[in-house]
Amino acid sequence: MLELDGLTRRYGDVVALDGLTFSVSPGQVFGFVGPNGAGKTTAMRIVLGVLSADAGSVRWEGRPIDEALRARFGYMPEERGLYPKMRVEEQLAYFARLHGADAPSASSAARHWMEQVGVANRADDRVEQLSLGNQQRVQLATALVHDPIALILDEPFSGLDPVGVDVMSEVLVARAREDGVPVLFSSHQLDLVERLCDAVAIIKDGGLVASGTVAELRARGAAQGIWRVEVQGAAPGWAAAAGFDVRSEDGDATLVTAPDEQALLDAARAAGRVTRFEPVAATLAELFREAVGPTASAFESASRTIETA
Amino acid sequence: MSLQTVLLVARREIVTRVRERSFLIATLVTIGILAAIVVLPSALGFGNKSATVTVSSQAGQQVVTAATPSARALDLALTVERASDAQARQRVLDGDTDAALVGDAPQVLVRSGLDDDLGAVLRQGASLVRTQAALARAGLDPAAQRAVLTPPPLRVVELDPGRNDQAQGFATVAIFLLFFQLIGYGYWIAAGIVEEKASRVVEILLSTIRPRELLAGKVLGIGVVALGQLLLIGLVGVLLSIATDNIDVPADAFTALVIVLLFFLLGYAFYAAMFAVAGALVPRQEEIQNVTTPIQVVLFATYFLSFQAVSDPQGGLAQILSFIPPTAAIVLPVRVIAGDIPAWQVVAGTILLAIGAAVLLLAASRIYANAVLRTGTRVRLADAWRAA
Repeated sequence: MLELDGLTRRYGDVVALDGLTFSVSPGQVFGFVGPNGAGKTTAMRIVLGVLSADAGSVRWEGRPIDEALRARFGYMPEERGLYPKMRVEEQLAYFARLHGADAPSASSAARHWMEQVGVANRADDRVEQLSLGNQQRVQLATALVHDPIALILDEPFSGLDPVGVDVMSEVLVARAREDGVPVLFSSHQLDLVERLCDAVAIIKDGGLVASGTVAELRARGAAQGIWRVEVQGAAPGWAAAAGFDVRSEDGDATLVTAPDEQALLDAARAAGRVTRFEPVAATLAELFREAVGPTASAFESASRTIETA
Repeated sequence: MSLQTVLLVARREIVTRVRERSFLIATLVTIGILAAIVVLPSALGFGNKSATVTVSSQAGQQVVTAATPSARALDLALTVERASDAQARQRVLDGDTDAALVGDAPQVLVRSGLDDDLGAVLRQGASLVRTQAALARAGLDPAAQRAVLTPPPLRVVELDPGRNDQAQGFATVAIFLLFFQLIGYGYWIAAGIVEEKASRVVEILLSTIRPRELLAGKVLGIGVVALGQLLLIGLVGVLLSIATDNIDVPADAFTALVIVLLFFLLGYAFYAAMFAVAGALVPRQEEIQNVTTPIQVVLFATYFLSFQAVSDPQGGLAQILSFIPPTAAIVLPVRVIAGDIPAWQVVAGTILLAIGAAVLLLAASRIYANAVLRTGTRVRLADAWRAA
């Protein structure tokens, strides 16, 4: 179990992290989401020891993390980095050795992971000769080549084509399911996070605003009581006229937030012939916006309406 | 700090650098230029001379044999051939031989004009033969003859020992070698650090190993390459010089090479620390030239001052520069090679340089650790020193 406990970090007057606390269990795929500048990268850098915290601690199985433990973590930084002029296989073997592997096992691990991420045929190419997508695959292999006990990946899906997204997803889920490795990754692609993750932490301004499984977030969140009502022959704007909070309206279909669904149903029947009446499960994207709320810009508010429609 | 990690980093540096074609080419070109400088003069006939002498009589042969040691002393290679009187005369006329010795009271035949050196050597030989004959007539046995004819070597007292042409030559070569190795490989350190910053690979590296290990490995690896190249170039130079007889005392050349290698280690440690700091402060390759300019100015100044130190190793300026680490890195070894300087100055200058290098390396590792992860913009030196 990987625990972040009360992590705090300031850059001058700017508070990047403010007592961030959450934990990732073995075998769990954990999504780390939050608006730009919320502190995700800072938190991950602190976990990897690349940055130090002003306060708080990172623990692994109850013990404060040290250099030896960190060396067994796998890390993919937000700003990807490899030696551009070094050959793929050589590079992977080098990183495996830095993590403590001996020469023979380092080169067999390098070959294994080139197979796994699909760059085995580029073993002797310099990294700079590869496409960005393939460089990203090598980057993932770099995070995995030493058989890490935990994976920390900062925006692993950004810049990947759909096939790359599938490869990345499969590898991450396999590491969690088969090897019981906790996998923590950050992403802005909330649909992907929702599909892959067992649990999610939403952070804002350096602090945790919600965490748990997506179902838990739904049960807890404010974004419940949303109903999709389709009424034939109703006058446009019937729900708003009846005093309900309308999220969107598109032809016959109206998306309404209603704490009392019976009252909504009555109003719908009064407006016309009800052909459909169903609860809508909030997507992670919606939960995210509910949780992060106040910082949502005018642009985000506008896109919210469009997306929920 | 884990030694194993440092060695892994160093190994990568060595393998990557040595494998670069530009490195191979640069090394070969340097050796080529050196070989040309050393070999060409004798190949073109400067310095070493040779002469062919044809003898037609027993007496002539005796003269040539007696002349051989003095020919050697003058760096004149004598080739002797035998012929009849008539043949010898003809060969002189045809220009096939430089001189012929004919007759029982040997006469020297030349086409026109006798070379000064060859003439002196032959006169020496002739007088030696006559002296030997006179000594034998006087009843001296062969051992006593030898004793008279090979006097003990003259005692030479140097009144101004600093003025040693050969030592000054070595010292001048040492300036070139030290300067180009320091500035070239120092720049590699800065460029290597910036490469890791610019490509962002440094963040992955530092999630695995410590900044100190990464820096130490890099300085060590590049230092091994620099020292290896210096050793190779130096050895080739010395061996070629010996082979072409350009050096009077081969042992002095090896001593000079060892001094260069030892002081290179100290100077490299000193300048490597400075270049490492420079590299850690900037985010992009394009800014390396800019940030390393102050260091290069110091090195260039040292380079020019060193020539002054060669021509006047005991001068006041040379003495002062030997106690200032950045200049001592070249001035001190050059003075040691060029002339006798007081031992205390060598010891004190070396200790100061070593202390300077150690202090700078410690400071560099702190600044490097603070600055190397700030990949976005240039970091101010004071900020890099302070930031925790």
